[in-house]
Amino acid sequence: MSMLLAVLVAPQIEAQQITVKGTIVGADGSGPVASATVVVQGTTIGTLSDQQGAFTVRVPGPNVSLVISRIGYVRQTVPLNGAATLTIRMTRTTVALSDVVVVGYGSQARSDITGSVASVKPERLEEKPNVSVSQAIEGATPGVTVTTNSAGAEPSIAIQVRGRNSISASTSPLVVVDGIPYYGNLAEINPSDIASIEILKDASAAAIYGSRGSNGVVLVTSRKGSVGKPKVSYSAYTGTQRIANLPTLMNAQQFADFKCVRIRTSPTQDCSTTLTATEKTGLANGTDTNWGRIGTRDGNQMQNDLSISGGSTDTKYYLGGTVLAVRGVALNDNFNRSTVRLNLDQVVRPWLKLGTSTQAARTKRDGVPVNFTTAFFSNPLISPYDANGNVILVPWPEDPITNNALENLSVIDNDQNKRIFSSNYLQADIPAIKGLSYRVNAGIDLASRNLGRYFGRNTQTGLTAGGMSILSNTSRTDWTVDNLLLYKRVLGRHSFDLTGLASEQSNNLETDGLRGQGYPNDVLGYRSNLPLLLVPGDSVVQSKLLSQMGRLNYGYDGRYLLTLTSRRDGYSGFGRNNKYGTFPSVALGWNVSNESFFPWQQSVDALKLRFSYGKNGNQAIRPYQTLSQLDDRSYLNGDAPAPGYIPVTLGNPNLKWETTLSRNIGLDLSMWQGRMTATVETYSSRTSDLLLRRSISSVQGISSITQNIGKTANKGFEMELGIVPLRHGTFEWNTNLNLSVNRNKIVDLYGDQTDDIGSGWFIGQPIDVNYGYVFDGIFQAGDDIAKSAQPKAKPGDVRVKDVNGDSKIDALDRTFIGSLQPKYTAGLTNSIRFARVTFSTFFNTVQGVTRSNQLLGTNQVFTDVRRNTVYRIYWTPETPINTYPSNSNTSNPLGVPFYEDASFIRLKDITLSYDIPSDFAKRFGGESLRLYVNGRNLWTRTKWTGLDPELDAQRNVPLEKVVTGGLTVRF
Amino acid sequence: MTTTNSNPNQDVSMKTIFRRRTMMTLVGVATLMVAPVACNSDDILTEHPKDIIVADNLYTNLAGFEAGLNALYFEVRRERFGQANDNNNILATAYSIGTDNGFGLYLSPPERLFSEFGMLNNSQNLFTNAFWTLMYQTINAANTIITRADNPNVKWTPEDKARVVAEARLMRAWAYRHLTYLWGDVPLNLEESSGDNIRTDWDRAPRDSVRNVIINDLLFAEANLPAASTNPGKVTKAVAQHYLAEMYLWKGDNAKAEVEAQAVISSGLYKLITARYGVRASQPGTPFTDQFIDGNVNRTQGNTEVIWALQYAQNVPGGGASIMRRSWVTRYESNKGMAVSVDNGGRGIGRLAITNYGLNLYGPTDVRGGQFAIRRFYLFNNPATLPAGKKIGDTLFTVVATEKVMDALRPSTRKWDWADPNDVTGDAQYGDQPYIRVAETYLLLAEAQMKQGNPGAAAATINILRARAGATPITASDVTMGFILDERSRELVTEEQRRYTLIRTGTWLTRVKQFNKLASPVVQARDSLLPIPQAVIDANLTKVMPQNPGY
Repeated sequence: MSMLLAVLVAPQIEAQQITVKGTIVGADGSGPVASATVVVQGTTIGTLSDQQGAFTVRVPGPNVSLVISRIGYVRQTVPLNGAATLTIRMTRTTVALSDVVVVGYGSQARSDITGSVASVKPERLEEKPNVSVSQAIEGATPGVTVTTNSAGAEPSIAIQVRGRNSISASTSPLVVVDGIPYYGNLAEINPSDIASIEILKDASAAAIYGSRGSNGVVLVTSRKGSVGKPKVSYSAYTGTQRIANLPTLMNAQQFADFKCVRIRTSPTQDCSTTLTATEKTGLANGTDTNWGRIGTRDGNQMQNDLSISGGSTDTKYYLGGTVLAVRGVALNDNFNRSTVRLNLDQVVRPWLKLGTSTQAARTKRDGVPVNFTTAFFSNPLISPYDANGNVILVPWPEDPITNNALENLSVIDNDQNKRIFSSNYLQADIPAIKGLSYRVNAGIDLASRNLGRYFGRNTQTGLTAGGMSILSNTSRTDWTVDNLLLYKRVLGRHSFDLTGLASEQSNNLETDGLRGQGYPNDVLGYRSNLPLLLVPGDSVVQSKLLSQMGRLNYGYDGRYLLTLTSRRDGYSGFGRNNKYGTFPSVALGWNVSNESFFPWQQSVDALKLRFSYGKNGNQAIRPYQTLSQLDDRSYLNGDAPAPGYIPVTLGNPNLKWETTLSRNIGLDLSMWQGRMTATVETYSSRTSDLLLRRSISSVQGISSITQNIGKTANKGFEMELGIVPLRHGTFEWNTNLNLSVNRNKIVDLYGDQTDDIGSGWFIGQPIDVNYGYVFDGIFQAGDDIAKSAQPKAKPGDVRVKDVNGDSKIDALDRTFIGSLQPKYTAGLTNSIRFARVTFSTFFNTVQGVTRSNQLLGTNQVFTDVRRNTVYRIYWTPETPINTYPSNSNTSNPLGVPFYEDASFIRLKDITLSYDIPSDFAKRFGGESLRLYVNGRNLWTRTKWTGLDPELDAQRNVPLEKVVTGGLTVRF
Repeated sequence: MTTTNSNPNQDVSMKTIFRRRTMMTLVGVATLMVAPVACNSDDILTEHPKDIIVADNLYTNLAGFEAGLNALYFEVRRERFGQANDNNNILATAYSIGTDNGFGLYLSPPERLFSEFGMLNNSQNLFTNAFWTLMYQTINAANTIITRADNPNVKWTPEDKARVVAEARLMRAWAYRHLTYLWGDVPLNLEESSGDNIRTDWDRAPRDSVRNVIINDLLFAEANLPAASTNPGKVTKAVAQHYLAEMYLWKGDNAKAEVEAQAVISSGLYKLITARYGVRASQPGTPFTDQFIDGNVNRTQGNTEVIWALQYAQNVPGGGASIMRRSWVTRYESNKGMAVSVDNGGRGIGRLAITNYGLNLYGPTDVRGGQFAIRRFYLFNNPATLPAGKKIGDTLFTVVATEKVMDALRPSTRKWDWADPNDVTGDAQYGDQPYIRVAETYLLLAEAQMKQGNPGAAAATINILRARAGATPITASDVTMGFILDERSRELVTEEQRRYTLIRTGTWLTRVKQFNKLASPVVQARDSLLPIPQAVIDANLTKVMPQNPGY
């Protein structure tokens, strides 16, 4: 961070009140900075800079410091050292049109960008309990959907850019960390080390990644050192996790009543005869087990983070170490991560520089979490513990096949992962041609996972198998070598930026597994060498990518911009007849506000129009998928193993990438010195050659084959709006809203406009639909059931909607129900700063989603009621409701699901922070000290009655509310 | 960079050198960039999988083809395992219950399907669809072997080839037999599936055509399979002949049926077990029940009666697992005073049960209905739950009550008893099991004899079985189709694919209505054929595939 102080006039040494005059200008030469707050450190004395950036303030002495802050700029503390007149140069922080943005294989000024590149605001990365970088992206930029599919200590998070264009292939964007493609779990990258996240959304921006670009690209860039004295930063937080919501399951008495009604054969049957002996005992003893509660705990989350950075003009460094420990709300759900990062940039000769960005990480996921599916289904009349408080193997002797939901607590499980992710470069200017340089990027990703798990005889699995061990060692060896030729030249009004790439990438994932069973005892767990049976499992997945790419950025007079990009990718996983694909794109930009005729120069800082068109691919073919594969179906010769293999997949030598052609139109606007910024974009894309695992007749022995068939289309609208509605003195209110609308539909499947009902794919409909029978109320006692479409129904049964009106219920009555595709998604950030206090909230919302709620299913308790479910009011002759059927195994023979509105608004983060006066911080030798509290997922508004509208499975680990408190000290 | 070697006489201006340097630099850089790409990129991008089996690598020699065949045996073994290759919903449910002698003792979807039929018997039923899918998977696997056996590059003897193809064709016949019994007219797929021959216009071949394919496959197998094998699990000539006899009976070729059945019986290789033998010969028991005990099942273990034995082994790769006991034995331990034990044969969960008709068929001296074959009583063995006035070792009699679900006191078969002493309540069992016994061949022979107007010979054939069982002999006048069906139940209950026998003899609907109390009020004629899976109809994009009538 460059902080410069210019002393223009000799110090005037006077006692007490001194008048200090100053001017604040942008460090990038952008002229005066108006409306910056100037406060005398440790006091409430302050003022604002005027339109010329000038300010005057009376200070209590010659040796005080001024704290200068302004939204969008790096806050700085300037010691007066006796000066009475100063010029302060402020550096911008947040995204503005003049920022430099990482665009892949280089960076560009935002004003020169022609494609659609979104940047995640840095505050999403700071002072938040992010376990994974992905959490920082959620709701942060328009057009990027981040969904927490399952909760827990390490939540499972999916990222999707601009809707879903692929039906069966991956929809995840390519993740690139410090220039090198990153595969696997993003939680193995430390979010505290991250400086910026950029998302390449349109065809032109993503075209540099060719066959991997059509799902968008996430560029993660880690922190670098900057010129200046070493800066030490220590931050720490600790907090608790609690369950956000648990559905109301039946309690013991409700369950007993429910079971009685459901399985008694006559209304007069004694209810106690419907219970098993253990249930009766439980009811008599007042056993009322809330399995959901028993399986959870108050979790906690803790992080310590220390970094040092700095550098000279030739050497810049960043060294950071972080330790994170999360104990999730589900018992035994733990996540621990320790990372060390060294980022180093060295100028060796004026024409030669090299550097590295390297992280070493160790993550541990010891312990198998409580099985929440079992917990949600477990009988409240049964206790999981014996009299001594030990977990019982078979808690309900009459139902010995149902495991104790807490059984996993008895599993020995050591699961640790070590990973070194290193991105290195060497760049040399080529003599003789000005502006030409050669760069090589070499990335290596070495990861290993060691899993040792043992199911002793205190688990069902272990008892059946006589002790069972699972050992698994996975090692990843990925490397990338990029050879780049870079040419940058400004000739008069013409600027050229050329990039040429030849690249080779190799991915190698090898797993050696060993399952042992039949151990003499449980003493040594999986470390025993004496199992009766050892079954090895081995997998090797290798792939290669050979690529060439060229990119030209041409600008004329800062007004007209042109980007041409083309990438050619050869991928080993493609079928042998289609190894190479080429992906070109073009983009145009017009900085309208730089035109001399532009009439609103005073109020409009920048106005740019952008257009792009191009082709991207989705490479998502797993290695070997184009070959006909066989699976193990071994038999015996006597008692000796006899290997057997059966065909399970059909090969396809023509298999290749999916192709997406897309168009983007964008407008960037900044007004009143950034007091309002807006980006509006609209796009449309058509994807063809879909990699479709097409259902085929099982008569062929295999029920599906992957082919390049089918087409989808997406179109959408995105808006991001930043406003500073109020700014006065030391008070400032910032608000940022983003909104995304995406519509996708299937254009064709098999080339003949035929729907694929079996797969749930319909022409003209979104890829994800609710399709099935429709609930149409309940048959009532007075209804003429015999003449209905279900003549055999009884009062209290579900009436299925006779959609086609043919007076019978069959497959033709299945139809579309609501929409799984959100009408819109949005994120809203508000940040209010008053003097040293900053308060910010971040809401995100998904609106217009209908989903079937598994918890409302009617046939989930087994016929003899061995499972619990949510408490419901059922139809009875006395309470003839029309919303839910009678309590019976037969009242919903087609298993018609119940749908609910899964829209929600969530207060994702709420943060309050306080900057301790610096004289206080200085007592500890610090430069600044900030305290904060953050709350995550504290409030959700939804009509959904399940576990959580965002999570996939509704009988799973509940979403957690996290409250953390922390501090950041800088030295 | 070789510009320094230029001829000094030549006028080389600085400008030229500069240009050359530039050129050379560019060439150098370009070489660096292209280098990794140029070294035979096609090779780099060719996949060489190291951990997976692909067809082109497997079917190249006898060992590879044997591996293909082993998988087919695995598929046969799946009949006695769960729907999802797990411990629940045994696939044998499809032909065992919803018949005159088997019913669902439980209310999970497969049992309900065959007790309630109606709306549950629909084209989206996961259980019957899983059965269908397994059969066609087996057919494709067999087709792959049959097709690839013609590859001239395979190194093997003509005898090996003939035997391999014979086994594969027998397995294909096995699968089509299941399919056409359950679904009637079914698509005939006789080629290896590949990415190039995907069809969306399958036709359902008439049942008679399917039967002819089965018969042709079996005839080939009969001609090319050895009479005996040292590998106890392998199919032999007799398996083909046994199935041929059954197929000919179904077609009405009774004389041919007699020839095939007689061929098995008079081969001299097979004879009924008439004396105690094997691992528990010294403990109480009967010759009839000895042959079901693990250790006695294979021919190598002294079993002269078994024609095809399914192989299982615990803690051995490929050892498989079966849930016959789990499915057929009641939850007897839920009776007071009872606990699961090895003596009681392990733990059952009472999914399938024998009807009163099936339980009451036996005469008093018939060992096939006696305590060693069907559990007529238990001995109290659980002090914790002992009823008042009883002591350990007292007798708890099972009761043949009106059929109802979850009847824990109902007698159940002991043919599949097997328990691991270290895990008495375990789900699966790992003992070998008879799959086809020559006793059934006798019954096919008797049926063929009767249908050719020779009840005397039929009675004599049946009396061979009855004599071994200690049942009273019968006379020619006793022999009717009904009697043979009764005798089949007496001999083969829980082993027999009962639904197929009844379908084959045209007696399914009447006998279900007569003897299956749960299904009789609801079963209809249409239920004699299962509905074609909806996914198969939906996938037939370019041709309408007719559904079975009534669905």
